[in-house]
Amino acid sequence: MNKNLTNSLAMAFLWIAAGTTVAVLFAVIAYVVVNGIMVITPEFIFTWPEGVNAEGGVWPTIVSTLYVTGLAMLIVTPIAILAAVYLAEYAVQGRLVNIIRFAADSLASVPSIVMGLFGLALFVETMGIGFSMLSAALALSFLMLPIVMRTTEEAIRSVPKYIRWGAYGLGASKWQTVSRSVLPAATPRIVTGIILATGRAVGETAVVIYTMGQAINLPLTPFDSGRPMTVHLYLLAMDGINLPAAYGTALLLMIMILAFNLGARYFLRRNRKV
Amino acid sequence: MSERRSVILMVLSLVLTLTVIPLSGCNAGARAANELVVTGSTTILPIAEIAGEMFTDDNPENKVLVSGLGSSAGIETVSRGSSDIGTASRDLKEEEMELGLYDTPLAYDAIAVIVHPSNPIDDLTKEQVRLIFNGTYTNWSELGGNDVRIGLVNRDEASGTREAFYKIAMEKSPFDRTAAVLPGTGQVRSVVAQAEGAVGYISLGFVNNEVKSISVDGIEASAETVVDGTYPISRLLHFFTPGEPTGLAKEYIDFVLSDEIQNGIVIDAGFTPISAGEDR
Amino acid sequence: MMVDEPRIDEGGTSSGNLQLMSRSTYFKETALKNIFLLCAFVAVMGVALIFLFVGWRGWPLMADIGLGSFLGGAEWNPTSALYGILPLIWGSVVVMAGALALGTPLAVGTAIFLSEIATPRVRSIVRPAVELLAGIPSVIFGFFGLIVLRPLIANATGGLGFGAVTAWFILAIMIVPTIATLTEDALNSIPPGIREASYAMGATPWQTIYKVLVPAAKIGILDAIILGMGRAIGETMAVLMVVGNAPVFPQGVTVPLSTLTSQIVMDMPYAAGDHRTALFGMAIVLFVVSMGLVALVRLIARFQTSMDRGR
Repeated sequence: MNKNLTNSLAMAFLWIAAGTTVAVLFAVIAYVVVNGIMVITPEFIFTWPEGVNAEGGVWPTIVSTLYVTGLAMLIVTPIAILAAVYLAEYAVQGRLVNIIRFAADSLASVPSIVMGLFGLALFVETMGIGFSMLSAALALSFLMLPIVMRTTEEAIRSVPKYIRWGAYGLGASKWQTVSRSVLPAATPRIVTGIILATGRAVGETAVVIYTMGQAINLPLTPFDSGRPMTVHLYLLAMDGINLPAAYGTALLLMIMILAFNLGARYFLRRNRKV
Repeated sequence: MSERRSVILMVLSLVLTLTVIPLSGCNAGARAANELVVTGSTTILPIAEIAGEMFTDDNPENKVLVSGLGSSAGIETVSRGSSDIGTASRDLKEEEMELGLYDTPLAYDAIAVIVHPSNPIDDLTKEQVRLIFNGTYTNWSELGGNDVRIGLVNRDEASGTREAFYKIAMEKSPFDRTAAVLPGTGQVRSVVAQAEGAVGYISLGFVNNEVKSISVDGIEASAETVVDGTYPISRLLHFFTPGEPTGLAKEYIDFVLSDEIQNGIVIDAGFTPISAGEDR
Repeated sequence: MMVDEPRIDEGGTSSGNLQLMSRSTYFKETALKNIFLLCAFVAVMGVALIFLFVGWRGWPLMADIGLGSFLGGAEWNPTSALYGILPLIWGSVVVMAGALALGTPLAVGTAIFLSEIATPRVRSIVRPAVELLAGIPSVIFGFFGLIVLRPLIANATGGLGFGAVTAWFILAIMIVPTIATLTEDALNSIPPGIREASYAMGATPWQTIYKVLVPAAKIGILDAIILGMGRAIGETMAVLMVVGNAPVFPQGVTVPLSTLTSQIVMDMPYAAGDHRTALFGMAIVLFVVSMGLVALVRLIARFQTSMDRGR
């Protein structure tokens, strides 16, 4: 077959592939938006679910989602940043580092149900914390850890060498260099990574069902339980009775994740000095 | 050298963490005195929830936490003490009889056999229902209907509705294992409403005009036929408590048994008040 | 690592290096370094803890009936105390295989498109689209599959619409971002000179892609596919909502089946005793499989580096 004909066919295929991907994304988003937009009223956002089939609003689920992912973010950030500092600044290529990286990759690809059962076995039952924001946040932080570690490490590595040299040249110790020169320079990227990881945590379902339960509740302390938006959507969908509320929840969930994604991108663009 | 030292340090810290964890088991299981935990059947869940809210409206210092994980879960949690009231849409199994649970029925319910509205079949015998759900019949044409594959829709094993159907309609012969297993009444209904050959079973209270309810042995499922016992597939809905109900549990149960609730939300939900069948 | 960083001596050795800092700073620096190492080690502790706690909960059953009859047992019927998970393993494999078959061409095609064909303007639409796709939670995909796709397939096939086919479509689109992003990275890391050389010899873009670029990026693409596999096997919510949950070997692609992940979620609410233990056992199997895939990727990467070095 003529090579130009093959080329044209192949190009067509590639265009179709990319087009299909975008089309499916568009279809899913459009479907949720079209069906959910009617449902999103201030009442929906700010009132409680009531009645037989969760008519009413979704306020406690919104709070639960934000609470647990915020808590997870607080827990994971210091550990992940310091871990990345180690990998980027101190680590020597060797068995230890390989083990750490393998472990991080493994955590990143854990099936969420396994993480959920793990959270159930360790935090809820063995440690006795029970179904709570805390148990769920701890499980979520294990999920977020490899993501934040990787993005922070990349952020640190992308800081130009001359910044470090300047600090050393002035007689700074390693820690002073890292904490006062390198990390501040890497902050925009680090923050972006954290926001993206939190966006991922917002979408988790299996992990939180087994560590937080599903009772609708407005969490005040980390020991309270609650029902995040993902679980609410799942239950509404499986129940099949109150589909409008399901669409509304799905739309709000997508808006929240979109906000995280765009926020991260915007933050990065605004603060990029390097 | 320094790497080996680091490794030793890390192994030690790992060991330390692992020994500390089991010791840290603090018990957060205590419940507040004014909190009532009600768990169990998804069929009873709507009533339990609304009643719980109305109850709290009348007595604002109390809180009723309702969740629905299935009748089996309800019975287990109440016998273990993790909940105050276990709701179930089935009777106790033999092995559960010795758990010492006290039974307060709250309503009657019929289990309707539903098919797609376009299905021409209107009536089946109880035996035919059994043979459909155990997989003997695979095509509607075998029963005088259209040439369409029978799509079995089953409930999950935690479901009291399933258990009741198993006992009464299946007479304990096993379900066809290739049936789809769905975890919610609403889902069974939406699937049957959209698939031509589908057949499933849901509580009468959830039947709407998206699906068609079949009469069994010539009897249609309705509130009357449930109470006078002519509809073959019906059951009681139960509140189980560890012994006679006392305190907050008793107040709540009495509230649900009150006329206001029985003639209100119980009927709204499609069930038949317990008082209607006093002499059953 | 940081080869040109001035070596701040870790003081106190007998080699007689000039001490550039005081003893207290040295201790502080070493303590800090160990704290950071500890943090990095949290990842390792996490993996160990998962093995420990999930494995400990799941082990008794496997020890009881033997690993062989657990993994190889063809009947899953907890009410009759039969805990053979082979039908579920088969379900997971079937679902993953179809998703890969559908998703890989789509993803690789999109990646090639992004890296080789798209103009910057088109790229600015397609790449964010792929990233956005990655961010959509699995419940929403499952929801979409349940409410939109299932009735369509039901009408088309005369069944219920639950089954492998539905799962394939939903899962395929979910793994596209994973595979596409990694493939695009692999393609982008090929030096532009190679492309120019190919064009200079009169090759069409497709010939360049097909004969030069893809082989060069082969390892990266393989990695991408393996990670896509991991994602497909480990996906829980979306699969659960469309697969039908019949724990048997499916006699077709439009009949209900079940996977390891979906079965755990279905049974967990009411499982007790041996049944519950079996579910934890399944979780450990899933974890081992996903770790195995990660190990495979790392092995391949190491193999390639050593091959490059030997050249």
